[in-house]
Amino acid sequence: MSGPAVVACTWGVATSDIEELLTLGRTVAGSLGGELRWLVLGALPEGATDTAGRFGVGGVDHIEDAKLGTSGSDAYVAALAQYCTDSTPQLLLFNQTFQVRDAAPRLAARLGVGIVMNGIAIEQDGGTLRVTASAFGGDTRTVYDLAGATPQLVSVSANAVAPEAAATATNPEVRKVAVDLGAVEERVRVVTPPKREGPRLEDAQTIVAGGRGLADAANFKLVEELAAALGGVAGASRPIVDDGWADPSQQVGLTGKITRPGLYIAAGISGASQHMVGCSAAKTIVAINTDPDAAIFKHARYGLVGDCLEILPELTRAAKAR
Amino acid sequence: MNNYALVGRLVIGDDGKTLTQTSIPRLMNAYDEQAIEAALRFRDAGTECTIAVVCAGAESGDVLKHAAAMGADEIVSIPIEATTVDYHVMGDLLAAYVQSSGGADLVLCGRQASDDDQGVVPAILAERLDMPLVSIAREVALTDGGGVRVTRVTPDGDEIVECAGPAIVTISNELGTPRYPTMAKRMQARKKQPTVVEVASLGLADTALQPRVTLTKQFVPTVQSSCQMIEGASAAELADALVAKLREENVL
Ligand SMILES: Cc1cc2nc3c(=O)[nH]c(=O)nc-3n(C[C@H](O)[C@H](O)[C@H](O)COP(=O)(O)OP(=O)(O)OC[C@H]3O[C@@H](n4cnc5c(N)ncnc54)[C@H](O)[C@@H]3O)c2cc1C
Ligand SMILES: Nc1ncnc2c1ncn2[C@@H]1O[C@H](COP(=O)(O)O)[C@@H](O)[C@H]1O
Repeated sequence: MSGPAVVACTWGVATSDIEELLTLGRTVAGSLGGELRWLVLGALPEGATDTAGRFGVGGVDHIEDAKLGTSGSDAYVAALAQYCTDSTPQLLLFNQTFQVRDAAPRLAARLGVGIVMNGIAIEQDGGTLRVTASAFGGDTRTVYDLAGATPQLVSVSANAVAPEAAATATNPEVRKVAVDLGAVEERVRVVTPPKREGPRLEDAQTIVAGGRGLADAANFKLVEELAAALGGVAGASRPIVDDGWADPSQQVGLTGKITRPGLYIAAGISGASQHMVGCSAAKTIVAINTDPDAAIFKHARYGLVGDCLEILPELTRAAKAR
Repeated sequence: MNNYALVGRLVIGDDGKTLTQTSIPRLMNAYDEQAIEAALRFRDAGTECTIAVVCAGAESGDVLKHAAAMGADEIVSIPIEATTVDYHVMGDLLAAYVQSSGGADLVLCGRQASDDDQGVVPAILAERLDMPLVSIAREVALTDGGGVRVTRVTPDGDEIVECAGPAIVTISNELGTPRYPTMAKRMQARKKQPTVVEVASLGLADTALQPRVTLTKQFVPTVQSSCQMIEGASAAELADALVAKLREENVL
């Protein structure tokens, strides 16, 4: 095999996610005794060569085509399939974005290769690639062995690894890679694109999230008020999104947003694993819950046992008083 | 399967990789229930259609009877030992079934299985059947030309897309609560026998049945707790103590 050991493939994700993926990619490439390349589809992120160098990337492959950049996955799958045939990587890594959820398994089917989603760790054991993934909504870890044709594909969960620059920086070059997408007609047509309102939970430094303990839709404003007082963003657990107390874009967790704020305040949230998947990377978690045995306290740095309906307004007051 | 019923109750079996039957109820994947609900809503709205629910697995009987009770016209079982296959094989089997049964105008799946959370099978199916894939839908409507108009739940909010049929659509929980069949329907469904389709009859090559991904182990991760409880006699005291602490630690 002459291709690179590992190719970390990204498009349209935040720098922090890219750094995580390159960190994991570098480790795995090391254990495979080969090179890590970074494949960028669409526009190159700002400072790409600098990032690539710091994270020990051997070289950057860049595919740009007018057909990329749509919401559909047809063009991405076609471009990736051509890249894999030409460059013969052993392992292709993705950040698990909304689009990758479709594109990566489709690519696996097209190439007839193995794939694992929700990956959090990868090791090499005598020729076998072993991938640990999160399962049961975060309650368990599954370990899969991958066999058969390459490249094998792993879609990596956000926050799976901590970004770490390489001990020795590299001096990577950007190589333009041509693909022919002339035959691709995107089959899924966007009629109304999503309208993003307000700041993204994924980028928020402070999140105040509410759960069923709020007892009533009207009380969600207590969460919003504290979030505003702290210059942060309001989040929610799934049941209160399902009940319409909060917007789906505010849902934190397995089937919502994966966040990584400095501070995460959880009010009236029990701490189910499916929720914690979306906030466990927070630097500091504060939990407010009437039940001293609530699971959330196991994950929290600071715990407040009490009624969030009383504590939230007091926190807003205390936060505003400087 | 409703995960939140399981928190703290997961027991890994002696094989070190599958959950014991006593610790997990054998229920239909909640997203699959929602996919069936989506199909039934077409019929409620007056669309003439046959709804077939197919399940590949070792013991799909109860799951399929639940589908029949909900209102499925046909229930189909493809017996296979689930531990010997992977998502590829599942996708190949289901695709072969769809083709052998004369095709489908619309294939609805759950967005992901609520045990392994992989969400891979529908994409494999889409490639094998050469159908467009529209994932994570909260609403599905049929368009005049036999296509679909789908509202997807994206991280940036709802997106409305259209494509020609036949298509594969995966359904998310935002679709809403699936109907719960009445006692009478459940009794009726108990007598209904699934159509059994043997793997051998699907004409798949041996290589197609070779798993590329094998589950070797499953475990429950441990959480190291380091929670410091904030003390205070009133809500105001608790709030002041917390804010002081967070300022002291430069979190605020
Ligand atoms: C496949 C799947 C995916 C899922 N994805 C997600 C997801 O993305 N995000 C998510 O959040 N969930 C998700 N869930 C649901 C998850 O399992 C939990 O059911 C959910 O997180 C619980 O929400 P909650 O904590 O708000 O409610 P509950 O579990 O009902 O907890 C409410 C908490 O509030 C406390 N409380 C009550 N009154 C007060 C009060 N006055 N003051 C303070 N505390 C109070 C209670 O002690 C309790 O701990 C998913 C489930 C499945 C099966
Ligand atoms: N054995 C199976 N039989 C029928 N449908 C399946 C099977 N496995 C997966 N699916 C479908 O694919 C979806 C996603 O499953 P998974 O890729 O395993 O997460 C499920 O919600 C089902 O709709």
